[in-house]
Amino acid sequence: MARNEELVNAILKGDRNNVQTIMQKAIEQKQDVVQLLDGSMIPAMREIGERFSRNEVYVPEMLIAARAMQAGLTLIEPILAQSNHKSLGKIAVGTVKGDLHDIGKNLVAIMLKGAGYEVLDLGTNCSVDKYAEAVNAGVQIVMCSALLTTTMTYMEEVVKHFKDTPEVKVVIGGAPVTQKYADSIGAHAYGRDANEAVKIVENIIGASA
Amino acid sequence: MQNLDLKSRVQHTYEKGERLVVPLVGMPGLKMIGSTIKLGQQNYRIHAEALQALIEHFAPDIVFPLMDLSVEANAIGRYTLFPIDDTATVPHVAFHLDHVDMLPKIDISADTRALGYAKVIELLRHSTDDTVFRAAYVTGPYTLAALILGAQEAAQSIILEPQGLHALTEYCNGIIKDYTQLLIEAGAQIICVLEPSASMLGPDHFLDFSGNYVKELADLCSQKGIATVYHICGNTMHLIENMVKSGVNGLSLDSPSSGMDLLKVMQQVPENVLVMGNLNPVGKIHNGSPEEVQAEVLEVLKSVDSYPNFILSTGCDLPKNTPEKNIHAFMHAGRNYRIANN
Ligand code: B12
Repeated sequence: MARNEELVNAILKGDRNNVQTIMQKAIEQKQDVVQLLDGSMIPAMREIGERFSRNEVYVPEMLIAARAMQAGLTLIEPILAQSNHKSLGKIAVGTVKGDLHDIGKNLVAIMLKGAGYEVLDLGTNCSVDKYAEAVNAGVQIVMCSALLTTTMTYMEEVVKHFKDTPEVKVVIGGAPVTQKYADSIGAHAYGRDANEAVKIVENIIGASA
Repeated sequence: MQNLDLKSRVQHTYEKGERLVVPLVGMPGLKMIGSTIKLGQQNYRIHAEALQALIEHFAPDIVFPLMDLSVEANAIGRYTLFPIDDTATVPHVAFHLDHVDMLPKIDISADTRALGYAKVIELLRHSTDDTVFRAAYVTGPYTLAALILGAQEAAQSIILEPQGLHALTEYCNGIIKDYTQLLIEAGAQIICVLEPSASMLGPDHFLDFSGNYVKELADLCSQKGIATVYHICGNTMHLIENMVKSGVNGLSLDSPSSGMDLLKVMQQVPENVLVMGNLNPVGKIHNGSPEEVQAEVLEVLKSVDSYPNFILSTGCDLPKNTPEKNIHAFMHAGRNYRIANN
């Protein structure tokens, strides 16, 4: 697939203006935006996610890359909708009840968007009801984030709630959360960082496809 | 010089084959005296009483106050919530970097809560002998800027609006310096800079937006013979070198569960910089048995036996409901430990 180096670099650098200019031009020239998405934007986000995992870039760089990506996505979303370009799957992301930390959750959300998934961002302080509503709206994977030891226990409630609907997978993460904890509450999976979140989702969707 | 006192106390203790033992413990003191966190953070007498109870029960080598990241932000006039039994928080209220010069020029020594925290130190100075060092917390410059601007906005501004963010951080550091002076005048012997939000930054940005500002605080303190400690929770393995560059006398580091490797840190840090840490504050000490706490303490201590510049501590503040018997187990294990081949 053709790779637009300029676009890739603009996203990697978090140069939002340049991303917008490139996308605008592509749209005017009626270029294949799906190809820009799959061939340049998604690989760029993957690349920045991997650099982040390897400690080569940090939260500020990730956030501005995400912001640039988002600006590009916003421009092409109407076109994608018309061209009935199908998203790879629908996923809900939210920080659990009592918890207002959202930077990690935001990174997970944008990495998933960047990987081609449709993401319902439920925000912070999410009760079980909020996740359940998202499931009613067609979400197959529920991603819960928690940064407090006092709120991560709420994840157990979320897991319990979806116990009788095994097609709904609950994936958890956040600084105090561990694989051991995920196992102990019966969550489907645990992810260390936003990059891993994407890999987990790919595995789930791949297995069910 | 008191500063030298801490260092020479650490050295002296090491020569005896022992360690200083210093849990970051404030909130459990409130439980011991039957008070709430809200009262402790708003009423200096209750705060001092809680610390007094901790000193009497556990006899730590350094007494740390209640950890409260809202003092300076609150004094500046940022909206602050005081849950009855949880620490005060500063919710995010929109702020734009264009408005830095509209932030108030405050006299922090006229702020009730800031004065209260100073008063706690003063009360301790009268009620304790010189076997226990009095530490005080200040909010770190970048963390205070992030409280005003929003944590995500601050992280983005590092790249998008560095000048504006510097102006804000500069403003914050001015307030923090004034507060530091106030605490030193009240009798603080150690100033511990709480800079959790900076754990998100890469090493260069960290130096630029935290380390260099903290250097000003460290210089100010060292002129007065006061020791400084940099406390950052979370994983700071990538920041150790630049934390040291700030010229602080000590680093206080989080637990292995957050990704920290204490031995690697000790290998990187020069011998004249103290390292405090790093028992998991929400692990065994919170939900395990005294025996498990003891085992964890021994594990931490054994791993750094050959380094004189280590102080046994917890990776972060202990939650209010930490069982008393586990804090005792921590103290006991730390006190009775003997450094091998010493
Ligand atoms: C920034 C911050 C805040 C900001 C939050 C701003 C915001 N918009 O999010 C503010 C100031 C509001 C705040 C408030 C509080 N905070 Co705070 N905060 C932090 C801080 C400094 C950084 C957290 C962060 O954003 N990290 C960066 C992101 C990118 O990392 P992350 O969230 O872990 O996400 C990564 C992975 O975990 C993973 N991930 C995250 N979610 C998910 C989900 C899934 C499904 C997957 C797969 C992966 C995944 O991917 C992400 C990217 O790789 C930490 C300390 C630290 N140094 O870590 C404390 C910290 C988390 N806060 C803490 C506390 C106690 C609080 C307060 C109670 C009060 C206080 N004293 O500060 C309040 C609570 C408010 C509430 N009810 O939530 C404690 C928690 C202690 C504990 N273990 O329980 C910490 C550890 C600091 C401390 N030791 O005191 N805080």
